[in-house]
Amino acid sequence: MKLNISPSSGIPIYKQIYEQVQRMIINNQIEVGVLLPSVRQIASELDVNPMTISKAYGLLEERGFLERQRGKGMLVVQRDQRISEQEKLSVLTKMINELVNQAGQMGVETFVLAELFNKEISQQDNKKNIKTMIEKDQE
Amino acid sequence: MSAIITANGLNKAYKKQKVLNDLNWQIKQGDVVGLLGKNGAGKSTLLKGLLNITEVDSGEITILGESSRALSAETKAKIGYVPQESDEISWLSVDDLLTFRKQFYPRWNNKKVTQLISAWNIDVNKKISELSPGQVQKVLIILALAPEPELIIFDEPAAALDPAARRDFLKEIINLTSDENITIVFSTHIVSDLERIANKVAILDQGKICYFDELDHLKENVVQVSVRDPDHKHLEIPYALRTKNHSQGANCVVSQVDDVWLEQMKQQEIHVEINPMSLEDIFLELTA
Repeated sequence: MKLNISPSSGIPIYKQIYEQVQRMIINNQIEVGVLLPSVRQIASELDVNPMTISKAYGLLEERGFLERQRGKGMLVVQRDQRISEQEKLSVLTKMINELVNQAGQMGVETFVLAELFNKEISQQDNKKNIKTMIEKDQE
Repeated sequence: MSAIITANGLNKAYKKQKVLNDLNWQIKQGDVVGLLGKNGAGKSTLLKGLLNITEVDSGEITILGESSRALSAETKAKIGYVPQESDEISWLSVDDLLTFRKQFYPRWNNKKVTQLISAWNIDVNKKISELSPGQVQKVLIILALAPEPELIIFDEPAAALDPAARRDFLKEIINLTSDENITIVFSTHIVSDLERIANKVAILDQGKICYFDELDHLKENVVQVSVRDPDHKHLEIPYALRTKNHSQGANCVVSQVDDVWLEQMKQQEIHVEINPMSLEDIFLELTA
């Protein structure tokens, strides 16, 4: 599990860790059933106070991403599909928010951003369509 | 958890200059507290005052349940202190100094001492007076950690350390923080170190602890708010520390975001942007 933290960012370190692990679980970069490294191990890898890691793990447990296994550590668990859908949307909303803010800072108008967004989506869709067409052809 | 340090109504003046002004502070067991303050804010005076190394003019201090003016030998042995400047006997060799100091403590972690001495390349045969300031600081840190204290007070511990030694030192502190009973208080100028190891931040300004709370709370509460409001109709931003109006609206630093106000802005379709601030920026805002 590769975590990157930036201590001098305005976002608390526990939150940075929470968001990264959450993202990895939602993206399936970390699979269900995997035991996460111990608090001490991550604290010493990242050179941060172990309390910070505990706090991030605690929050992930509270939100149903992890389950505490006595004597073993934190287990990634399968979550209720419906909650997971909500969580996905909230992660995406956060990412979109960042994007909109950045565009604003660059002085890019919102309608330009929206056009760009739609263009990207239709390109991705086209690629997917072509891919499925090729796959069908091969069948 | 119980209070390890309680300070009530501390006052200290040098000549006419008031350094500590009716200062109150309480530190709980297991806290890792970073103390921030501008140059000359009185961080060293405060830390020395807590330990009665410098006598305060008035006020009461309790450390580990005893008055700091009359600490028993037993309690003293549970406290580690790393001063900003060494007052160790300079003609002793490092080895002799370690042997000398060891006899005053019931506990002494020889393994830790050996490990740090080798990690930090300290020549134990050299006299203290022959060491560089950075090496002296390393020796002071080793002296403070060796007796496995319950309370450690560091005054600018990393100021003279090179980046590698600083990282080693941080790792040492992080190891210590795994033990929830150990309390650590340290003053520093290096904000990024504080952000890695402290769970609480104290800001000393104008002789008082003007802010003392969890680092995470501080970062979550003190934020920058930008309001896009060219008509300047709605610029009364709650909890504002500082507001800068401009033609398109206002930029503001708030001590917390008022959810009710935020909802009102949303309903009136006024665009509000909230951005987190680095601890350094927060510190500058709070002490401006």
